[in-house]
Amino acid sequence: MLESNELARFEAAMLPHLDAAYTLARYLTRNDHDAEDVVQDACVRALKYFDTFRGEQVTSARAWLLTIVRNTAYSWHKGHRNDELTTEFDETEHSPLGGAADPEAKETLSRALERLAPEFREVIVLRELQGLSYKEISDVAGVPVGTVMSRLSRARTHLQRALRKED
Amino acid sequence: MPLPSSHPSFEAQLDAYLDGELAATDARELEAHLAQCADCTRFRDGRVALRAAIAAEVPVFQTSDVLRQRVRTALRTSARKSRFNLQAWWRPLALAASFVIVALGGWNLALQRAAGAALADDVLSSHIRSLMPGHLTDVVSSDQHTVKPWFNGKLDYSPPVHDFAVQGFPIIWMDARSPCSRTAGASTSSTCSSGLGRAARAARPTFATARAITCGTGLRRTTPTGSCRTWGAQS
Repeated sequence: MLESNELARFEAAMLPHLDAAYTLARYLTRNDHDAEDVVQDACVRALKYFDTFRGEQVTSARAWLLTIVRNTAYSWHKGHRNDELTTEFDETEHSPLGGAADPEAKETLSRALERLAPEFREVIVLRELQGLSYKEISDVAGVPVGTVMSRLSRARTHLQRALRKED
Repeated sequence: MPLPSSHPSFEAQLDAYLDGELAATDARELEAHLAQCADCTRFRDGRVALRAAIAAEVPVFQTSDVLRQRVRTALRTSARKSRFNLQAWWRPLALAASFVIVALGGWNLALQRAAGAALADDVLSSHIRSLMPGHLTDVVSSDQHTVKPWFNGKLDYSPPVHDFAVQGFPIIWMDARSPCSRTAGASTSSTCSSGLGRAARAARPTFATARAITCGTGLRRTTPTGSCRTWGAQS
């Protein structure tokens, strides 16, 4: 099924977005090692379903790859429930600003971003770091454009709050 | 910096505006509002500063060469595996097999229908033949050397023919001038030919003649008060 030219086409279409894939994985897992594993898994998965991407062509190659990276990262967390990281990850899901901030630690924007709940973190990464359109973000996150819009806005408000604490 | 509640959804609208995602008409309205609202202008300035800060401080990660090589290796391994994957060939094979089954089933059904139609035609033509005047019996003999050859080509086996003449029951036969078929009245002749012979012809055309002959010989013996008996008395 997968001829070598199929693999070549996949690499030509997807590997240019490997940095974007790794950045999203890195912010979702908040860990270098996990991010690398997620990227590798996601790429292998993407190769497996490459024909569905070429069949649809409704979204960009980058958004399509990032969708798979995102889903891989989420299932990665589910598969490692006992991780301390995961516990924190779950806690953060309940409020946009997850985890209790250490009042002594100097807050940076990166840290504030890492402490956002994943659904807020991912829209900031996809929009601010990778420049995806609202439509592409809606494809990647699997939510309506209106939800993307309100999540982005709330995430930015929380980041601004976190920055004011820094002062 | 959240805005007063008098500006519902303005934050998201302004973010969309700054992201270049707001429709042109909405964008013009928003700009007009910004021009006369100090709170909203301050809010916009805060957002613009945040965007600049993110761009300056939040890193985009680069894939290391090691990871890039790892991914390429994993892709090659996966592609090589899937080339020998069963999924690659059993799906078209299963599809082809299902077509063959459907085709065979259809062919079989068509054959059965054709056979049914042929049988119906056979019964009908035999029945019509039996209704022809002067055609009550095909073979006027109880001699097996005369009866058996008549079945040649009509049956795929040779039916037993018993000559009851030996036991004292010779065949009684009449030609077209006989009272049975011509003058002896509707009751007797019709009972004989249609009551038994025709029923037999209609139901099993290939045995019709055999039954008709039996009527002339055996039945007379077994049912003395039956139709053939009456018919025989009249002859």
